[in-house]
Amino acid sequence: MIGNAPFFVVGLLFLAGLTAIFMEKNLIKIAIAIGIISSAVNLFLVALGYRAGGTVPIHFLAGKETLMVLPTPQAMTLTAIVISLATTAFLLSLIMLVYRHYGTLDVDEIRRLRG
Amino acid sequence: MNWNDHLPALLLMIPLFGAFVAPLVCLLGKTTRNALLVGLSFVTLLVSLLLWRNVLIGGIAIYVMGGESFNLTLPSGMALPIRIVMEVDAFSAFMVVCGSVASFAGALFSTNYMEKFTGLGRFVSLYFLLTLGMLGMMITGDFFNFFIFIEIASIASFGLVAFWRDRPEAIEASLKYTLVSQVGSMIFLIAAGALYGKYNALNMAAIGSLLQFGVMEKIALVFIIGTLAMKCGSFPMHMWLPDAYAEAPSGVSCLLVAVSQASLYGLMRVCFSLYGVNLGGSFIPWMIISMGLASMFFGVTMAVVQHEIKRLIGYHSVSQVGYMLLGLGVGLLVLDDARGMAEYGFTAMKGGIFHIFNYTMYKALLFLAAGAIYYATGKRDLNEMGGLARRMPFTTAMFVIAAAAISGLPPFNGFVSKLLIYESVFAVHPALTVVALVTSVLTLASFVKVFQTAFLGPEKTVFTGVREVPSGMLFGMGVLTLAVLGATLFPSWTLSNLVEPAAKALVDQAGYIGAVMGGGL
Amino acid sequence: MFGTVYTGFGYWDVTAWIVFFAIAAGLTLWLRAQGRDDYKEGTDQDEIYWSGNVVPDDGAEISVPASSAYWGFRKAMAPFYKVLTGMHTGIATDIVGYYVLVVAFMAVFILL
Repeated sequence: MIGNAPFFVVGLLFLAGLTAIFMEKNLIKIAIAIGIISSAVNLFLVALGYRAGGTVPIHFLAGKETLMVLPTPQAMTLTAIVISLATTAFLLSLIMLVYRHYGTLDVDEIRRLRG
Repeated sequence: MNWNDHLPALLLMIPLFGAFVAPLVCLLGKTTRNALLVGLSFVTLLVSLLLWRNVLIGGIAIYVMGGESFNLTLPSGMALPIRIVMEVDAFSAFMVVCGSVASFAGALFSTNYMEKFTGLGRFVSLYFLLTLGMLGMMITGDFFNFFIFIEIASIASFGLVAFWRDRPEAIEASLKYTLVSQVGSMIFLIAAGALYGKYNALNMAAIGSLLQFGVMEKIALVFIIGTLAMKCGSFPMHMWLPDAYAEAPSGVSCLLVAVSQASLYGLMRVCFSLYGVNLGGSFIPWMIISMGLASMFFGVTMAVVQHEIKRLIGYHSVSQVGYMLLGLGVGLLVLDDARGMAEYGFTAMKGGIFHIFNYTMYKALLFLAAGAIYYATGKRDLNEMGGLARRMPFTTAMFVIAAAAISGLPPFNGFVSKLLIYESVFAVHPALTVVALVTSVLTLASFVKVFQTAFLGPEKTVFTGVREVPSGMLFGMGVLTLAVLGATLFPSWTLSNLVEPAAKALVDQAGYIGAVMGGGL
Repeated sequence: MFGTVYTGFGYWDVTAWIVFFAIAAGLTLWLRAQGRDDYKEGTDQDEIYWSGNVVPDDGAEISVPASSAYWGFRKAMAPFYKVLTGMHTGIATDIVGYYVLVVAFMAVFILL
């Protein structure tokens, strides 16, 4: 049961981010909540690869050990981090432009397109 | 070296090359930039047609990225495929053809439409990245790679929807799209990670051969279907779609139509080839059918009362996606029932897949015509337009063809695919056909309204200076009109050469898995 | 190439439709061409009749705007449209809310 602790943390973080998206009114806080969700998913991917007693998955650094943690989730996590970097950059610059045009960062006020 | 073997990789490399070279080439002036945009889009179209011809003749095309040989998926001693494998079957090839025709038409259109904008080097770069993301989604055989291409396409479309950065509404539309797209992608990544964690494989064929339907697979399937249905624009997750399609420049809207079809491709690939016989009963097919019905009806009732032209066409997008979900959902419902499949399931799938082709062509044409109206008159609100048919005869003619096709009027291609869907869905339950027919009638109603207010009617004095749009835009619209008329006049050729191999490939899960795993299930 | 499309329940033939349409169009045009001898184009037999009022020069004053095109339909289904446009609030987090609700609904029902 204690070995599943990372996955409980993932669930808690994900729920925290999701709740923040719905409860918060400020756009910057919503962007931070999306960052929290990304962190939760990255933690999930890295925790998937862990094997108890394993060592770094680099062949010449592992020494005498033969049990390694899985490297593929680590590659997936790196890719996901880079993607969320690009998307966070986009999101923040869009929020900046929204502030310049609308003058407010309140999510309930930014609704000229409706109906 | 046989070029035919390397076509899947070429298909991805050409837009990628264009995307990276674009900012440099655009320093050389406007003609070079337009030549790059149109030229590379045309080359992509040629490569996609060659790939389609290859797949029709030679079966499923496999390409291993970076392997010793282009089709060595299982080197000696490996039980699961290594490296990223591109797997192009007839359905993928069909979608690639649709997508590259839409990309070429949008590129031709954008050479003239984007004259008033600055920063066009980045526009060309983003346009090629969006094409790359869309094409990659359609030909990849690796699940995490599919996620990567979804993200490439999404990030490029965030930038392109917000391209008109002086307009507040464009930024707002892009912001809403970014928000919901990010949350969706994170949930999709959880599903991808969960499937990897259980089966130690990222390749779609490998997961498909090892899959057993348990609790974790159910949750993963629900996450995947929810995200991909959101990206197609099915009700009730469609609210970003009319905003984003309306505020993007028209050449980009034309391409975004094809990008949402790529998400529909992903949805069908997961349901038919990844899960397939392990789909666990009829909950998921009925869920897809009900999402299709809701999208159809609520999309078109919202569209009838809109008064801004591109937003109206965007709501019609939502309702047309409902038709495809309905047809393919009925096919999914009878996937394991051989008699049902032979009676009506296969016809429903043919109708749904043919509708994908028709929809991409006429919807892109509608967006381009709306863009042409905006370019000529400077107005997007239907209340202020009128009497344009005298001044813009070509645009009017192409708009009439597209509007008749979308409403399902004979003899156009929309009618043929809708006929296939109506008659086969009737065998499941008559109420489904009733909803589809009512939607068709309301579609016709709203396009009669658009045509009458924009093109017919008395001449307004504010429009005396309006002239026909430049030739680049007319050529772009002409490409799509040719495709619509081709499917209209040769329906049985299109059905037997484009659609039926695609439908057969989609139903054949064992063939899809066997092409990569090299044996059987 | 100009073949017929056989659905399982019927068929569709483009050539037959076009032939019938051409025959019907020819008949209609011939009927329209039968007219009276005393009709001259370009005289005031050809003018717009606007209930006896003077027809304004600018077409903008006699055109019907698009928003009033289906007012009867919209008024008859007013409760439906009130609920539907109430759903399309335009608030960004509502879209995310609907998406999460649909995924949660599907997850609950697929596990039952």
